[in-house]
Amino acid sequence: MAAVSTPTDRTGAPDDKRRAGRRKATKKSDRIAYLYLLPAFVLFGIFLLFPLIHGFWISLYQWDGLSASTWVGLRNYGEAFSDPGLRSAFVHSLVLIVFYALIPVSLALLLTAVMSRARHTKGLGFFRVVLFLPQVVASVVVATIWTAIYAPQGVLNDFLSAIGLHAITKPWLGDFTWALPAVGLIGTWVEIGLCLVLFLAGVSQIPRELFEAARIDGAGAIREFFTVTLPGLRPQIAVALTLSVVAGLKSFDLIYVATRGGPGTQTSVPAFEVYHRAFDVGQVGSACAIGILLTLLILIATVVINRVDPGESR
Amino acid sequence: MRNWRHETGRRVALAGVALALAAVAACAPGASNSKPDAKSTGAISTDVAKAGKVTLTEWDINTSGGADTATTQLNKEFEQKYPNVTIKRVARTLNDLKATLKLALSSKNPPDVVQANQGYPDMGAFVKANLLLPLDNYAKVYGWNNTFPKQLLALNKFSSDGKKWQTGNLYGVSQTGEIVGIYYNKKLLKQVGLPLPKTFSEFEADLPKIKAKGQLPIQFGTGDKSPAIHLFGVAQAAIAGKQEVRDMVASSGSAKWTDASTVQSAQVVSDWAKKGYLTAGANGLTGDEASANFGKGQGVFRIDGTWRLAELDQAMGSNVGFMSPPPMKAGQPSATEGGEGLAWSITSKTKHADVAGAYLNFITDAHAEDVLAKTGNLPAVQPPSYTPKAGSLNADIFAAWKTISQEDGLTPYLDYTTPTFYDTITSNLQQLIGGKLDPKAFTKALQADAGAFKQSN
Amino acid sequence: MNLRRDSAINYLILGFFAVIALFPLLGVLSSALTSPSESSASLSFPSSLHFSNFVTAWHQGHFSEYMRSSAIVTVSVVVLSGVLAILAGYAFATMEFRGRSVLFYVLLLGLMVPEEALVIPLYFDLRGVGLTDTYWALILPQAAQSLAFSTFWMRTFFRGVPGSLLEAARIDGANSWSVLWRILVPISRPALLTMAMLVFMWTWNDFLFPLVMISTEKLRTAPLGLAFFQGQHTSQFSLLAAGATIVALPVVVLYFFLQRHFISGMLSGAVKE
Repeated sequence: MAAVSTPTDRTGAPDDKRRAGRRKATKKSDRIAYLYLLPAFVLFGIFLLFPLIHGFWISLYQWDGLSASTWVGLRNYGEAFSDPGLRSAFVHSLVLIVFYALIPVSLALLLTAVMSRARHTKGLGFFRVVLFLPQVVASVVVATIWTAIYAPQGVLNDFLSAIGLHAITKPWLGDFTWALPAVGLIGTWVEIGLCLVLFLAGVSQIPRELFEAARIDGAGAIREFFTVTLPGLRPQIAVALTLSVVAGLKSFDLIYVATRGGPGTQTSVPAFEVYHRAFDVGQVGSACAIGILLTLLILIATVVINRVDPGESR
Repeated sequence: MRNWRHETGRRVALAGVALALAAVAACAPGASNSKPDAKSTGAISTDVAKAGKVTLTEWDINTSGGADTATTQLNKEFEQKYPNVTIKRVARTLNDLKATLKLALSSKNPPDVVQANQGYPDMGAFVKANLLLPLDNYAKVYGWNNTFPKQLLALNKFSSDGKKWQTGNLYGVSQTGEIVGIYYNKKLLKQVGLPLPKTFSEFEADLPKIKAKGQLPIQFGTGDKSPAIHLFGVAQAAIAGKQEVRDMVASSGSAKWTDASTVQSAQVVSDWAKKGYLTAGANGLTGDEASANFGKGQGVFRIDGTWRLAELDQAMGSNVGFMSPPPMKAGQPSATEGGEGLAWSITSKTKHADVAGAYLNFITDAHAEDVLAKTGNLPAVQPPSYTPKAGSLNADIFAAWKTISQEDGLTPYLDYTTPTFYDTITSNLQQLIGGKLDPKAFTKALQADAGAFKQSN
Repeated sequence: MNLRRDSAINYLILGFFAVIALFPLLGVLSSALTSPSESSASLSFPSSLHFSNFVTAWHQGHFSEYMRSSAIVTVSVVVLSGVLAILAGYAFATMEFRGRSVLFYVLLLGLMVPEEALVIPLYFDLRGVGLTDTYWALILPQAAQSLAFSTFWMRTFFRGVPGSLLEAARIDGANSWSVLWRILVPISRPALLTMAMLVFMWTWNDFLFPLVMISTEKLRTAPLGLAFFQGQHTSQFSLLAAGATIVALPVVVLYFFLQRHFISGMLSGAVKE
């Protein structure tokens, strides 16, 4: 995928064309530019790039974080596929991505399709603020709230009992079948507002003529959605998917506060395993390997998702 | 609106690869820090008043009930006795302490005094990393070797490389004794018309009878992971016997976690869960919540440690009793999980080792034991000045502790077994109780962990 | 096509999701105002308003210390990463120099790296130089992690500024330094505010770094304090709810006042990784 420049760019994508004669000593203007960049890159280099490389280095060792280490090469990475505990952590992550990304995005798309039939909803500003609220509340706070909702004698069970479903009440976060979906639904709750707000904003930018043309062609609601709304929302879908998939992959705070990976290892995810292995059970090398794998996953997900959206300058 | 991720993609990936290929001049991780030296007895100053202005930071797990009251009171008394010392207290639940203590000890300014959990997962790991100070010379100066029973001191000992438990240097002293036993609700027991069980099979036979009467047999929650150890530990101590459990935990002898007796213990716990003798959804209920529920009169029995004394005494008064888990055959001595409270240890980086030593002595001496007893704790050494009220929960617990100690019926906590055992046993027990694992597979998982450790040690 | 019916459906849908979004948050607020004697292990509705929980939590849970730490760390990160991002974004937006695209893509890599991948090596590196358990252990790494986003954000904005403005200033003999601070920064106030808000939110809400780097009680940040407070109050939710409210409040209040900035920033796909 090539970098796409947007209409707002005046200089185009910054490609280095090495012209002849530029091989001399760096020009004065170059030096000034480097001076502007220096502070940011010093901080960035020391506190992001170096630890990243150092983390990769540690991941090649077996180390308990306390005593001497042993070189094991890529074995820690192999374990991600061979160690059943770790493999299931990655699988749990995929399940969470369904709850964090796929469900909110599909649901929000569906709702947007329904809502785009009517234009100009008054008071949208108020709804936008409310729907967006879960995004800004600290995930530790979110986890605390939902732990109370899911508690054995919590609001959810009270509600179920009240409508005559006492039989299905359970301690949601302590149930082997339900713990992971319960955690996932917290993610759905957080992300749904973001997706709705994004798509509603996107729909309002689609030229009215397109809808009208579709209607003159006699398109029904469904065809209109697939020919006009969906293509028009591509950039917003890409953003929504990127944000929510990444949030699903990095659900450490939520898992730490709500379940600590329990019951059993039913809700352990890679982000939690990183912490758990490094600081609870003394497998620092393996923890670093998981951290690097998580980085790769995010990189791949971002690249793949952004292929959905071929850019605005088509 | 611009989606700024357009600019990312392959090029970023390439930049990343280029970076990763950039040669890093790094060496193998792993620091070798020097061994803390034990102070010679001659260099120890027991005179805290001469130490000048000192701030002593201590981390403990006494967040609730009587333990909290006692710790607050003893700290205050210490400060009154030595106005030049300020004590900064940080109290955390066991779960939170376990999660953060390793990080805190390795930091530049660790707390001076910490409560460390015995066994390989915590104390062993700390000793291996030279994070704790050997206390043998403080023991000499303060006479701890005579105050505390030998077997209790042994639990706080490690070889200086952290590999051999129960021998070598002393790394901590404990304030309280602990056993896991059976709390029972007297009113409910009368209601269902059952006498106190005399043997373990009688106890087991009581459970369906209680359930048939519409009561909850055992109030139990293990959402915070550790309580299940005690439930299983009680069954295992009764069924497998004390010697076998001790050998397993100490990785000595030929006993294996996959032996028939341990499989049977797992079967018992699994059946209890399956047949509904335990609180439904125990994996989603914390030990604290379950204890609070039992205090509110939910459940006939509760298998838990003596650390709940103050809390349940306050909640239930004379309606609660305590017994050691009954033996397999009537008249035999009981065996149960237990030992002592977390060890109070001194960190190797402390600048006030002598003040910390004096503090440890202060919170474990005869007066401290008295304070502990009066605030509803079970002191490790019975203070002669204190007799519990007849018929109270205190009296039951003190008597049970005395009997178990005299008959040498203590088996160590199972999580002491290996550095990763706490993790292994708690998560597998949740699976056993949740019906996700059968007893055979469960014991296999434990043996795999213990076997690997035995080989590497 | 029935317009009225359609917009009724819209309000129904929006209303439904607004209720879902608000219910847990309002539930916490109402639990926090419930007297401890009426409190349960879950959300509760007070019979009369009790503000004492906030006082109790503030003292018993040490939230005054935690909030102070959070404020110090967060403000430092916002200022530090903001200033560096203005400088770097300016260079990327207005200057031609060799290695520009390479450097830019290296910086973008920072968007992809989750803190989980950095926290362990950083913990050991910082411990090696004796910086763990100080505010620096939170400020420097978190500022570095915000830089990728902030620099990109500033570069985008500076590029959108009409070239004629800068040309005019240069003809007047202004050097690049004064062009930046006298012309560009004043007109980019809204963009700066959005950037500051987002970095503020990420830093304030962060949990993993403080959990690993900090062990001294008085240096702990608010979310961390809440997590430990939770372990000790599982059967009484009203105090915990008060603590949760205290921790969430600063960001939520800012959000209500500056919601346009938050939303426009987030909608551009901003994420700190």
